[in-house]
Amino acid sequence: MMIRVENLYAGYGKIEALHGLSFEVDEGEIVTLIGANGAGKSSTLKAMMRLAPPEAPLVSRGDILFKGKSILPLEAHKVVEQCKMTLVPEGRRIFGNLTVMENLHLAAWTRSKEEIAGNLERIFDLFPRLAERAGQQSDTLSGGEQQMLAVGRALMTGCSVILLDEPSMGLAPLLMYDMFRTLKRLNTESGLTIVVVEQNARLALEVADRGYVLNTGEIVAQGSSEELMRHSHIKEVYLGG
Amino acid sequence: MSMSGRLLRIVLILLGPALAAAACRLAPILNEGHLSPAHTALIYGGLFLPLAAGAAAALSARLPACLFFILAAGLVMAAQLRFLDNYFLLVIMTMGINIIFASSLNLVNGYMGEFSCGHGGFMCVGAYVGSLISMAFFTSSKLFGASLLPPHLAPLLFPLVLIGAGLVSALFGLLVALPSFRTRGDYLAIITIAANYIIISLVENIDFIGGPRGLSGMNKTVGAMREVAEMPWMLIWVLTAVFASIVFLYRLVGSTYGKSIPAVCQNEIAAEIMGVNTDRVKLTAFMVSSGLAGVAGALYAHVYSYVNAQAFSILKSTEALVMVYMGGMGSLSGVIMAAAAFTLLVEGLRFAIPFINSLHILPAGYEISPVWKWVLIPLCLILLMQFRPEGLLGNRELSHFFPRLNKWMKRTSSEEEPDAHSGNK
Repeated sequence: MMIRVENLYAGYGKIEALHGLSFEVDEGEIVTLIGANGAGKSSTLKAMMRLAPPEAPLVSRGDILFKGKSILPLEAHKVVEQCKMTLVPEGRRIFGNLTVMENLHLAAWTRSKEEIAGNLERIFDLFPRLAERAGQQSDTLSGGEQQMLAVGRALMTGCSVILLDEPSMGLAPLLMYDMFRTLKRLNTESGLTIVVVEQNARLALEVADRGYVLNTGEIVAQGSSEELMRHSHIKEVYLGG
Repeated sequence: MSMSGRLLRIVLILLGPALAAAACRLAPILNEGHLSPAHTALIYGGLFLPLAAGAAAALSARLPACLFFILAAGLVMAAQLRFLDNYFLLVIMTMGINIIFASSLNLVNGYMGEFSCGHGGFMCVGAYVGSLISMAFFTSSKLFGASLLPPHLAPLLFPLVLIGAGLVSALFGLLVALPSFRTRGDYLAIITIAANYIIISLVENIDFIGGPRGLSGMNKTVGAMREVAEMPWMLIWVLTAVFASIVFLYRLVGSTYGKSIPAVCQNEIAAEIMGVNTDRVKLTAFMVSSGLAGVAGALYAHVYSYVNAQAFSILKSTEALVMVYMGGMGSLSGVIMAAAAFTLLVEGLRFAIPFINSLHILPAGYEISPVWKWVLIPLCLILLMQFRPEGLLGNRELSHFFPRLNKWMKRTSSEEEPDAHSGNK
């Protein structure tokens, strides 16, 4: 197992958000966490990324193992460096006052020039729109383009595990499908391990290998995507009948 | 860069100190007064111009750098030949010190988006530490006894004073930053104001460095430099320090490492998940900023030959804030322009008010008091904030408004154009 979350309890101050969460992600898999608002999906990703409170929850019990080693003592930038794992955060969080190119270069700041060059080509191949807008200040991009930049930026870090927090948020349906198709392509062509948190459960399950269903900080169902899609209760609650 | 180009640069870099040493040797002879002014001008021209052009070409083959060196060499020569009076030189040096002071604050308040308002405190540390180092190294004083180094080395080793002052101020910056960077925004502002007050009270209560009476032992170092060669040494060091700090800041904010400073300002989490160690970036930026303020302080002490802690009170910190907000937060060229303009405004009003009084346009018996200066300057700031709240240039550089400047900012590549160095023949 590449990532193993074991009996994770975490919360914000006195409010506990995750009550004993356990799940696994294997190398080269697409795993999705689905659930309603406030189920603890984003908190799980933030905790896995080791972001600092108060924005992220504080882990009180349990463990997060990366290739068998606990990453709880690490800070987020160390997780990026050592585990090659990064996050595409909710709401994109691109650097608005920098250009598209500067955003991408900043993401690659730990890497050599040769690595960057190959990576840039790949990103512009996946998202030709970004190449067109390379010199543009990134807060002038449209929502869809900003999401592409957020994903492109995550790829620029050279990470092999990418956590995505609601990549479809605020996108038109067509762009949403494009985004997930690109994620699938990254997974099959580059062997990227992807953990995606999504409100749009049907879309997420279509590309994912396996899924976990969260409800108020606990995992209530799990299985392969097909199993979850067939599951009558899940169908009713998350897939709209 | 080609091999020969690199070699040429190394030779030119070595040529600078060699010529400076030669200047030190020659200058006493020149000052004997046997030579006609024209003759003197010729010799000094011969000394300074190659030095300036060589250093400009060697350090950076960019046009602004060369222009700066030519301007600096012109100023130094004019000062040497006494074309400029001491007051004018003092204004120029104050301007230089203000440029370093304001552009260093800009790193924290502009690029990083924090609000530090105790910058004067770090300048104070630099002023005192610089003075003490210079007293210990180059002068025999009651405080430190005999000088550690022979005083005639002062003209060449003066940078040690600046570097020492900068390092200690940076350490003080670290001391302030470590506890306060867990908090942001208003809290940092309050903590830095407190630090400013603490530093000043501390200095005022250490008796052996003069306490509230101030310190003036460093003027012997300036005297020692003068004794070696009668040259405008402080002007030379101010100009050198201005050049060095601007190049340093320009390179820093243009580098990928430097880009992480505005990134931290924009979004700390996003920076962190790109692998940026945000805590370290913040500390580094704050240390660089306070270190450069210390360099400005050391220069200030030697230019005025006297320091007093009260000169670096919250008023001084406010001056730095005014210059940064006037120039535009996060714009290096804007803040440089603002610092120059602010110095001229403060000094200009010194003359404008008596001048208006001398016109007798006011009814007899009425006069404008010089205190009006401190009404007019804040008023200018209020008007600026009202009509151009982003400052002169906003967060952009001068080259954004005049795109042609971009062409000049590029390095003239030495391989294709060997002519770039022809000025040194």
